[in-house]
Amino acid sequence: MNSTTYARRNLFRRRGRTILTLITIAVAGLIFNTIRTVDYAWKVGVNEAAKDRLATRHKVSITMQLPKRYIDDIRDPAKVPGIKAATWANWFGAKDPRGRAQFFAGIAVDHQTWFDVMDEMKVEPAALEEWKRTNNGAILGDLLAKTLEVKVGDDLTITSDIYPGDWKLKVVGIYTPLRKTADRNSLLFRWDFLNNDPRATYSKEKIGWVMSRIDDPSKSAEISRALDKLFDERDDQTVTMSERTFQLSFLGGFSAILSAFDLVSVVILLIMLLVLANTVAMSVRERLHEYGVLRAIGFSPGAIFGFILGESMLLAAVGGLLGIVLTLLLVNGVVGPAIEENMGGFFPYFRAPTAALVMAFIGTLVVGAASGLVPAIGASRRKVTDSLRRVD
Amino acid sequence: MVPLRYNVRSLAVRKITTLATAGGIALVVFVFAAAQMLGAGAQKAMVTSGRPDNVIILRKGSDAELSSAVSNEYKKLGDRPEVAPVNGVGAVGEMVIVITGELADGSGGLSNVSVRGTTPEGIAFRPEFKLVSGRMPKPGTNEAMVGKAISGRFKGITTGGRFELRRNRPLEVVGEFSAGGASYESEVWGDLDVIRKYVGRESVVSSARVRLTSPAAFEAYRMAIENDKTFSVKAIREPEYYRKQSEGLSGFLQGLGTAVAILFSIAAMLGAAITMNGAVANRSKEIGTLRALGFSKLAILTSFVLEAIFLAVLGGAVGLVFVMLLSLVSFPVMNFQTFSEVVIGFEATPEVIISSLVFSVIMGLLGGLFPAIRASRVSPVEAMRA
Repeated sequence: MNSTTYARRNLFRRRGRTILTLITIAVAGLIFNTIRTVDYAWKVGVNEAAKDRLATRHKVSITMQLPKRYIDDIRDPAKVPGIKAATWANWFGAKDPRGRAQFFAGIAVDHQTWFDVMDEMKVEPAALEEWKRTNNGAILGDLLAKTLEVKVGDDLTITSDIYPGDWKLKVVGIYTPLRKTADRNSLLFRWDFLNNDPRATYSKEKIGWVMSRIDDPSKSAEISRALDKLFDERDDQTVTMSERTFQLSFLGGFSAILSAFDLVSVVILLIMLLVLANTVAMSVRERLHEYGVLRAIGFSPGAIFGFILGESMLLAAVGGLLGIVLTLLLVNGVVGPAIEENMGGFFPYFRAPTAALVMAFIGTLVVGAASGLVPAIGASRRKVTDSLRRVD
Repeated sequence: MVPLRYNVRSLAVRKITTLATAGGIALVVFVFAAAQMLGAGAQKAMVTSGRPDNVIILRKGSDAELSSAVSNEYKKLGDRPEVAPVNGVGAVGEMVIVITGELADGSGGLSNVSVRGTTPEGIAFRPEFKLVSGRMPKPGTNEAMVGKAISGRFKGITTGGRFELRRNRPLEVVGEFSAGGASYESEVWGDLDVIRKYVGRESVVSSARVRLTSPAAFEAYRMAIENDKTFSVKAIREPEYYRKQSEGLSGFLQGLGTAVAILFSIAAMLGAAITMNGAVANRSKEIGTLRALGFSKLAILTSFVLEAIFLAVLGGAVGLVFVMLLSLVSFPVMNFQTFSEVVIGFEATPEVIISSLVFSVIMGLLGGLFPAIRASRVSPVEAMRA
């Protein structure tokens, strides 16, 4: 029997305790990985979002609007070179009067150009033709259409947070996503329908924001500056940013929650440390007599140290691996796909990143070493006579 | 029943084990209580912003001041017998906008701030208002003051600073105010007409407020103005309005925090179970002796469950002590209702303390139950022979 066998057999002397400890480490690992995944998924959206698109909005406030004529300046290649196409939209603050959908983006868009720029949304050419003929036509994301229980040809009445009264729309099409980043919960209707309505004088000939597609994503910073410079001397100044930054500006304060998450993920490692340290300490205390015997028959203090540290690191490693398996099964297998399906706009890619899993495993090993260290030092330094004398 | 002292002493003998297990529970309770405190802080900031005899009037269909618009006829909303004028003014109109500010921490990050255009009457309407430093802005000018919760958080939005609402039309911050912990402390206040002119919305206000002769007059007032064809508005009691505003935020914070804490508690409960299992195994001789002395199975079961609960409550208490330190810090969060930041504090309410202790008791109970059942099944004869 060599020392590894001794450590392995020791592990299962108290089978119940070992299993409970393993479950604890695995569950703690799963929680840690899940938190890191949320964090990662939030940040990774930046990479997944279309890099060739820029959003231009009012510099002062997300709620202030720009004059409609700005779009002509943006589209003029003589003024800002590098812009392939540009379209615009107005936030409508849409609400479902029947309360079937809690929150969805309702926006008035330029029906001529919207889908040319937002090319991750796929819509049938026939629907686009129908949209041109239908003043109050609307095109919905497939998920929203399901929630609102409407299909092509149906009438749909919505209300607004901003504009008074009922707005009667007609569903002319349903768009489906071509990329995961596409928001499948948007309602799009014609900007001219809004603009011609007397209830919307507040935003007459005004646009909320402009979306532009550029030739060369590497020039996005340059083009953004050029765009903003164009309006620098006008009354309404603009700020141009990547599409992702634009989306996040509506949820800016969420980052504070994420940093709290970071902190909390350390707490779960601490809990893991305490539980494992307790298990090791308990096992060592029960076996002090035995260690005394081992020392007496010639094992060195270093060997005792190795047994204890090895046992605690082995526990941690097995638990950590179990945690990774659980994460792959639950997060990547079940929760992730569901989140991508329903919240693709915010979390286009919700999978535990390999780097985080590796980090979690290393973290678990560190916890294993830290838990074993104090009992291992204590037991190896103990005098043989003390250990043998002790009676529990 | 086995004397409680037996359990307390047993815990004291196994110091390291007791500390490690209680420490795990303390961490869980810390997370749980911190989330509850933040939720309570959000509620406090919002709820203290309202008075039961104040009514806020918004455009019909709007849920928040930010998206609402009421025509300049709003002054007539104060010409009703139910209204008690404040400083001779019946209805106070205000404009609320949200602007993007650059964070002053040098990170280059952007966030949103609410700017409220108000009048001297509007300020008088809120008796909790207090100028903390600097001076009052002169009415009718581009001077403004900043709420103390966000003072210094954004570039230019601090006493002596200036920030632009429109090109070459800056607001100058000349003072800082407090409002008894209300959410106004996360706003910038400027002149109503100046701000309306800068944003090009001279013909409307976001909201109107009136004070009623008594809270009981609300229904009569509401019926009268909601049926008035000149307006298309709705009337809400101020506390009700702010409760709705805070519901989403505090619910979100508390829900998220509780979910995380419950997940964490699984680990801590397993830790407690390991400890109690070890205790049962080590003390089987003692248990056998107790049984032989005549203590019933139930007495043993109760004794070990109580020991686990005691252990958990010890941890919970430690967690609570540390979480109280959070009362000293505040935390900026996004209020989805207003699209802008509110800075909220961690609020230690009796509910938070009670729910944290209940949470610890549950963790102890669940973690200790199975080991306790095992203990109660120890056969006295075999245990004493071993």
